[in-house]
Amino acid sequence: MRALKWALALILLATIGHAADTPVLPNYAEVRPGVTLSFPRDHGAHPEFRTEWWYITGWLDTEDGRSVGFQVTFFRTRTSTDQRNDSAFAPKQILFAHAALSDPQTGHLLHDQRIAREGFGLAQASMADMDVTLNDWTLKRDANGRMTTHAGGKDFALDLGFTPTQPVMLEGEEGYSRKGPLPAQASHYYSLPHLLVSGTVTRNGRKAAVKGTAWLDREWSSAYLAPGAVGWDWAGFNFDDGGALMAFRIRDAQGQALWAGGSYRDAKGALTHLAPGDVAFAPVRRWHSPRTGTDYPVEQNLSVRLGPATKEWRIAPLFDDQELDSRAGGGPVYWEGAARVHGGRGYLELTGYFKPLKM
Amino acid sequence: MRTPSPASPLLSVTSLKKSVPGGRVLFDGLDMAVAPGEFVAIMGESGAGKSTLLNLIAGLDTADSGSIAIRGTVLDGLDDDARTKLRLAAIGFVFQAFHILPHLTLAQNVALPLVLQHMKAREAEERAHAMLASAGLSGRGNDFPRALSGGELQRVAIARALVHKPALILADEPTGNLDPETAARILELFATAVRESGAGVLLVTHSHVAAAVADRTLLLARSGLREHDGR
Amino acid sequence: MAADMCGLSGVATRWMIAGEWRAHPARVILAALAIAVGVALGFAVHLINASALNEFSRAVRTVNGDADFQVHARTPLGFEEALYPKLARTPGIAAASPVVELPASIDGKVPLTLLGIDPFRAGLVTPNLMGRPVAAETTQTAAPPSATDNALGETSIFLSQAALLALNKKPGDEIQVSAAGQTLAFTIAGTLPGVAEGQRLAVVDIATAQWRLNRLGRLQRVDLKFVEGADEPRVRNALAALLPRDAEIVNETTQERRTDALSRAYRVNLDMVALMALLTGGFLAFSAQALSVARRRSQFALLRVLGVQRRALLFQVLVEGAVVGGIGAALGLGAGLFLAQGALSFLGGDLGGGYFSGTRPQLIFAPGAALSFFGLGLLAALIGSVLPARQAAQAQPAIALKDAGDAADPRRAPGWRIALALLLAGAVCAFLPAIGGLPLFGYISVAFLLAGGVGAMPLLARVLLTPLQHVTFGVSGHLASKHLWGAPSQAAIALCGIVASTSLMIAMAVMVWSFRNSVDSWLVQILPADIYLRVEGDDYNAFAPDVQQRMATVPGLQSIHFRKVTPLRLSPDQPPITLLAEDIDPANPSALLPLIGSSRPIPDGAIPVWLSEPATWLYPYRAGDYMDLPLSGASGSTRVFVAGIWRDYGRQQGTVAMASPDYVRLTGDRLRSDAAISLKPGADSASLPDAMRAVMPPSLAGRVSFVPSRDLRKLSLQIFDRSFAVTYLLEAIAILVGLAGVAATFSAQTLARTKEFGMLRHIGVLKRQIVGMLAAEGALLGSVGVVAGIGLGIAISQVLIHVINPQSFHWTMETRLPFVLFATVAVALVAASAGTALIAGRRALSGDAIRAVREDW
Repeated sequence: MRALKWALALILLATIGHAADTPVLPNYAEVRPGVTLSFPRDHGAHPEFRTEWWYITGWLDTEDGRSVGFQVTFFRTRTSTDQRNDSAFAPKQILFAHAALSDPQTGHLLHDQRIAREGFGLAQASMADMDVTLNDWTLKRDANGRMTTHAGGKDFALDLGFTPTQPVMLEGEEGYSRKGPLPAQASHYYSLPHLLVSGTVTRNGRKAAVKGTAWLDREWSSAYLAPGAVGWDWAGFNFDDGGALMAFRIRDAQGQALWAGGSYRDAKGALTHLAPGDVAFAPVRRWHSPRTGTDYPVEQNLSVRLGPATKEWRIAPLFDDQELDSRAGGGPVYWEGAARVHGGRGYLELTGYFKPLKM
Repeated sequence: MRTPSPASPLLSVTSLKKSVPGGRVLFDGLDMAVAPGEFVAIMGESGAGKSTLLNLIAGLDTADSGSIAIRGTVLDGLDDDARTKLRLAAIGFVFQAFHILPHLTLAQNVALPLVLQHMKAREAEERAHAMLASAGLSGRGNDFPRALSGGELQRVAIARALVHKPALILADEPTGNLDPETAARILELFATAVRESGAGVLLVTHSHVAAAVADRTLLLARSGLREHDGR
Repeated sequence: MAADMCGLSGVATRWMIAGEWRAHPARVILAALAIAVGVALGFAVHLINASALNEFSRAVRTVNGDADFQVHARTPLGFEEALYPKLARTPGIAAASPVVELPASIDGKVPLTLLGIDPFRAGLVTPNLMGRPVAAETTQTAAPPSATDNALGETSIFLSQAALLALNKKPGDEIQVSAAGQTLAFTIAGTLPGVAEGQRLAVVDIATAQWRLNRLGRLQRVDLKFVEGADEPRVRNALAALLPRDAEIVNETTQERRTDALSRAYRVNLDMVALMALLTGGFLAFSAQALSVARRRSQFALLRVLGVQRRALLFQVLVEGAVVGGIGAALGLGAGLFLAQGALSFLGGDLGGGYFSGTRPQLIFAPGAALSFFGLGLLAALIGSVLPARQAAQAQPAIALKDAGDAADPRRAPGWRIALALLLAGAVCAFLPAIGGLPLFGYISVAFLLAGGVGAMPLLARVLLTPLQHVTFGVSGHLASKHLWGAPSQAAIALCGIVASTSLMIAMAVMVWSFRNSVDSWLVQILPADIYLRVEGDDYNAFAPDVQQRMATVPGLQSIHFRKVTPLRLSPDQPPITLLAEDIDPANPSALLPLIGSSRPIPDGAIPVWLSEPATWLYPYRAGDYMDLPLSGASGSTRVFVAGIWRDYGRQQGTVAMASPDYVRLTGDRLRSDAAISLKPGADSASLPDAMRAVMPPSLAGRVSFVPSRDLRKLSLQIFDRSFAVTYLLEAIAILVGLAGVAATFSAQTLARTKEFGMLRHIGVLKRQIVGMLAAEGALLGSVGVVAGIGLGIAISQVLIHVINPQSFHWTMETRLPFVLFATVAVALVAASAGTALIAGRRALSGDAIRAVREDW
């Protein structure tokens, strides 16, 4: 694992490199407005874009009445390797994945990760539908729309099934979600909130049946962060009444919002697209990580302007220490935690607090 | 050490027969007895077998037939190790050629028989020094034999022969390599020393002078030993 | 020292030993030194072997990483990469790491192995092969763009510390990497911290290796890791079922066996030679002890008379021997360490044998071996003391006391039965086969022959000296022969030393001389062309076909024949056999190959190959057999017909020679690295190299060497001589030891014979006549020893030539006797013997001798 640290550091370093004689660099597709997302195709991978992920977060209720949070994410990144490289091993696409379990009784995150270059059927992401394989981890969608995932390792394993109960929620303008002032600083983005979860969590060899609610985020982009942006705060909540809220802000080095946005869908299904000025995150309490020395605003006041009114939610974490340190695999350090608001449960994600994030 | 009863002889030889390789018989049916403390001289022609007789008595050689007993212990039935043990305990030797080891000091030479009986080195050397003193070489215990004259070497040999208080002394021409003056002095020392120690002596010699010191003299011929009346 | 059952008195023993040593320290020192020399040589050779082997194992392990086991290609061409996902998906396999492996040369001067790995996979299986980049991490995912950051990129390379040192480069520098027929620029992106010290390795991304070095679609190996608790044999079977013919499963054990097998015979031979040095040392110790005991016969007799038991006397002599042996062995261990360190620094781990190239291995101290050699030294001294000790104990005290001459009765003929039995045993052992690839019975045969020969010396001396009894050549000669005749045991002891060392030396000399001659005539046969051209480094694939074309058109060339030399793995336990593809004419193979016997007629449609002699020892194939070679045919292997056997001294692990067209047809491989050039009559050979280099790619031109066959022959013989340099050294030491034994004998005897000389002078023998007598004794003894030594040596050499060499190295040779050497050795030894006798007897001619008659001692 420690060895992977260097490896992953390198691929991400490699996104900007050249061969001795002028290499042929890839042409990254640009995110443009006006592109209609169609399914099931857009559940699958978009290899022409630089970055992509399948991001599932959610709450699980165990049989003995306790609640835990979980995260399963599959990433795809297109490297800047020389496109003339004919080798079947050419690392033109790299797949990597994180899985995490937030149990307040444990007091910190349990997490595991995988990484491989796409090829030979050992690691691949289908372009036709949601079907991602990374060694022994999988995320697959069947013809009925039900998704299953297997992820985990020595400490824990997740075998979960997700059944959508609501239609796809397109973020931004019909799936064109801006992340910065320039039009190209955007991603194609859709969510599937209120997924019904059932499955098992295996810990210490014992399987426990779980049920819960989850949220799937799907994004792909080639230019995510504007220059000057160091990270973001993201929140996604499933409300008990059936509503769903996604809000984010892109921060600069001073901690000010460079950009913001989100979507709110009420219980009846009316979707409100939030402009940058409609969303504000105000940290209430910070938690200091003893391991990395980072201060995360784990409790925040989220105010969202919906039409004439402004609603406020106080986001409170399930517990404080939900920091995910993926440096062993060459990834970043970020905070990804199960959180509650009044009337809903979901996840809060805080990136770029340890060191500035570059994508 | 067993104290022999006065009645039993120190050395008893019965019907001894010995021939040399080649077939010539040295002696046949030889009888002899030496009482404890008795000084016996044996004379005879060269080649008569005097030294051979000594070797037989010492257990260094085996007879064709007959028996030898030292302090009641019969030699014939014993194996080499047992005979060697007996020799160490009961016999002392003086040779014509002195046979003092050149690489040991005089005291170490004299102490050899004691040390071979597993006495501690210090104690053995103390006794050796005392023996040397009584042999007229006092204070010279730490010298090496290199610088000694023939007479002095033989004194050392006599000291060595007596240091472990053996019951029997075997002397083979002890004055043979010495000039007449020295020989006389050595003989005197030898006679005094052995009488003091109370050991029995078997002395083989050519010299009538040497034989005169003995209690009795025997003549060795093919037929055996017979009394010799001197001169 | 407490009293014990055998009656040994500690004090007496101590006095006797200390007294003896105080009086004659030189002898004790000499004996100790003899043991020390033997132990030092043996231990040094052993240490060098162990260190070198350890180094070699490390090198092999370094390249292979720490995988549980691997699937390896049988040839450098590799196997299809489609095998890799199948292996990865096999149940029980936790992770599979694909690897491309090539020999490469950096900057034209540093040869090493280049690996192409996928860091994501390698990190799980062989983490010690992972590179560490030197770029600092100021942000979480990216650094400012620069060439060094492109670690997965096509120009990044990671080098081990030793490689960086050898190249004198640091991360960030650019280097030229030559592999697979091309030279490319790479930038050093970082180091390989997991690679062992002293090992040179380079690692690039596997996609880079495949793409830039034209290895698309093939892998050389896949490193595998088991799932924890997996049923390993079952998983292995599952894997084996998946493998094509050109791949095999390899794990650490088979790797070690291969490494071991590669040079085992050479190293064991070297060990044996060193043991012979120990033996010779033992002989000297024996001589010294024997003489010392002989001299002290009367002292021992005195002790027996005084009452020391036989066993006690025996033990005393043995204790003396043990102490001498212990001191000598301890000295020898120290000297051996020192020697080994020096040899490793100057000669390398193979002592010139050419097995391990490049790095100077580190010395590893082996406590177990040290203990063994100490024990051997002690044993040699003890064995050397046993016979004299028994003699001392058994001697009749009465006779010994009188010091009446020699212990043995000169009239009795010396025993010959034991010696004959030993000689016969030696002859029988010579015909026995090898065990485990080692000629153990051959060594035993040599030992028996030596012991038998030495044991027969008294009889032989008697036989040779008897005629001289009736011939008188002067007073001196007369006296000399009488003395030798009359004191046979003393003469025998002196002879033992001479014969033992001479015969060993002669045996080795004959073998080396025969070998050299055979190699010489073989070289003439195998190098028929004028100039040979090869590429430096382990590169099999330097010249691409177009380059070959251009080279063929250089003016002045009569013909140029390209050869392919590539390793082939026929068996997991053996090192690879070499495949040689040459322009062999199947109708006339002996034009290029020195055939043994004739070439069989080739069946229709069969592909002929010719096996080298060593190959027939290692593998069960003979002329007329069919065999399977793992060259890519439809199933990854090809059936070929063995048409003949040829002599090959160059490759000990066997060679398969095949006609070039057949090879190209089977593998499609047209890359070559060797060529044989014949010039047109009258062509200028001096200008040829430049003309050739002009048509090559510049990076290659610098690495190509042109060697005229005449120079190649000379070079080969130089390498030969260098390989045997150590043997020559040991021979010289053997002779010196033998001479030392003679000197010791004579000096000891002379002291004892001082009286005798004095007596001779008294009765009117002239001084120079005594001198003559001593010289004559020495010369006679030396002559007998030399004659016996040479005879025995020739006999032993036959065992070396016809048993040990073939069984160890799988080659044969014809015996050639170095008569000049014989004559030189004979003259030198006789002269030396006479000389030492003279020098030793110098004292005898001084005034001491005359005075000694008067005294006793």
